[in-house]
Amino acid sequence: MVQVDAGTLLFAAIFTNNILLTNFLGLCPFLAISREIRSALGLGAAVVFVMTCTAVLNYLAYYYVLLPLNLDHFRYIVFIIIIAAFVQLVEMTVERFFPALYYILGIFLPLITVNCAILGASLFLIIREYTLVQSMAYGAGSGAGWMIAIVAVGALREKVQKSAKLPKGLEGPALTLIITGIMALAFTAFSGMIQIQ
Amino acid sequence: MPKPLSSSQIFLQGLWNDNPVLRQILGICSTLAVTNLLVNTLVMNAGLIFTVGMSSLTVSILRNYTPMKIRMMAQTLIIASYVIIVDIAIAAYLPDISEALGPYVGLIITNCIVMGRCEAFAMKNRPWASFLDGLAMSLGYGAVLLIIAVIREPLGFGTLLGYRVMPEGFTPWTIMIMAPGAFFTLGLFVWFLRAKFPQTAEEKKQGH
Amino acid sequence: MKKRLYSIVFMFVLTFVFAAVVSAVKVHNEERIQINQQVKLQRVILKVLGVPVDEKAPNRVVIQAFERRVKAIEVKQQTLYVGYGEGGKQITGYAFPVGGAGFWGPVYGMVSVDPEASRIMGIAFYRHSETPGLGARITETWFTKQFAGLPIFPVEGDKKIFFLKPAGPGKGPNELDAITGATGTSRAVEAFVNRDLDRFLREMWKQVKKG
Repeated sequence: MVQVDAGTLLFAAIFTNNILLTNFLGLCPFLAISREIRSALGLGAAVVFVMTCTAVLNYLAYYYVLLPLNLDHFRYIVFIIIIAAFVQLVEMTVERFFPALYYILGIFLPLITVNCAILGASLFLIIREYTLVQSMAYGAGSGAGWMIAIVAVGALREKVQKSAKLPKGLEGPALTLIITGIMALAFTAFSGMIQIQ
Repeated sequence: MPKPLSSSQIFLQGLWNDNPVLRQILGICSTLAVTNLLVNTLVMNAGLIFTVGMSSLTVSILRNYTPMKIRMMAQTLIIASYVIIVDIAIAAYLPDISEALGPYVGLIITNCIVMGRCEAFAMKNRPWASFLDGLAMSLGYGAVLLIIAVIREPLGFGTLLGYRVMPEGFTPWTIMIMAPGAFFTLGLFVWFLRAKFPQTAEEKKQGH
Repeated sequence: MKKRLYSIVFMFVLTFVFAAVVSAVKVHNEERIQINQQVKLQRVILKVLGVPVDEKAPNRVVIQAFERRVKAIEVKQQTLYVGYGEGGKQITGYAFPVGGAGFWGPVYGMVSVDPEASRIMGIAFYRHSETPGLGARITETWFTKQFAGLPIFPVEGDKKIFFLKPAGPGKGPNELDAITGATGTSRAVEAFVNRDLDRFLREMWKQVKKG
């Protein structure tokens, strides 16, 4: 049992244990979409929402259904189904009520389902034995952290590509990876900020 | 319908020409996390190769019976099942490594490569070809991870497979154990490869 | 309509087949996995009690050693592991679990004390989610070795059995080196190990002394 309070956990999940910059999760769409800030923000918001809700749903499914029935080894299947179903729901809602956003996000919305970060957050909260409230904080924080990372790296990448003449081969993924590395390095500076117990 | 590729062509394509990580920068997501130790990387590779190979094989066998509308669900179910099997196997036979790998084995499910190959190749090709394709893609991917691990472990821990390889006085570069080290290593590696072996016209253009 | 029905049946059959295969694999390996967990714990207990067992020794060797040299007893609803000498008669020490909230997740460890409960004999951490290269270094020998020989006593008020201080000159008798760069983990370990040692002395030790 971790005794960290939800607020600290939220802060920590965004900065010191950023799910993308520390746990390497959620890179796929990251490399593709981080070109435009607006779509990155829209996607980020969607991810925060999905992550928080699926963290809660998967927590409930694990502790109230799978464990009591001794079926915890099926958690991978159950979690991904819950995530897929939820994303489907979100997709339908967004298409109905926010068509502009739906148009901007395009294919990236259903692709949230296979975003490693979403499944990863659920798996981590089980391993770390978080409570329901902690899971919610962790989900929200991870989502927010992912969004911040994607927007920051995207902005940097745009700036660099516009203003600098890059050596051969650096453009594209290599540059994104190196910028991500520098950002990850910067974020480790936050680890001195958390006071626990 | 284009002439079906020979086995060796399929293999080569997966291994080099279309190497998922280097060319398409696919699926680095989860597996990069375990590259700070070579032994973990080897086990993760084995798990990935098994999953991609078997999933591609199964999806291909069932491809004519799978309704189009639900094929994503079916693929996910198949992939997830194989991943669970891998996870159980590692927990049973390599318990220490299982703890070290943590949730990353489960995250093979969301690894873009597995789903990508099932959808792009296995759904349209025969079982044996699909199996080879899956094998090649994951081997190519695994090779890249191995190279990264061979750089990260000695620099970060001073060891390789647990055996000390760096001289006694060497101060380990802790950064190599953590995330930034992985990003830099892969980034530099991709840069090097793209500069040395530009494959597509687009990349050649970027060189100037 | 026919297509719909086919889809549903297909998914059903597929799910059933794969669920069955997965369950079969799980059942087949369940015992092995449980033994692995059990042996892992036994290894840690043997280690802190100073019973030499080769790291690479197979499971049955560990189980044999454990059965020969350790007895688990329940004291105040908690498990205490009593270590015996080669002859099986003389008590060589007591081991009990320590654990608590780490920085990123729960940390599980095992500590052992001498037969008079006056000093720590050894400590080991066998499960944690701390950052590799930083908090994860609690498993390293240099860190755990510091605890050996540390005197323990019930504490009052703000005092602690030991402190983890950043490495540097001028250390008091009960001050140990924390892990540089892992303040959160160091603080957490300091907190729960002190707490568990204190609880052992106050609650379990009294019971054991009575016999």
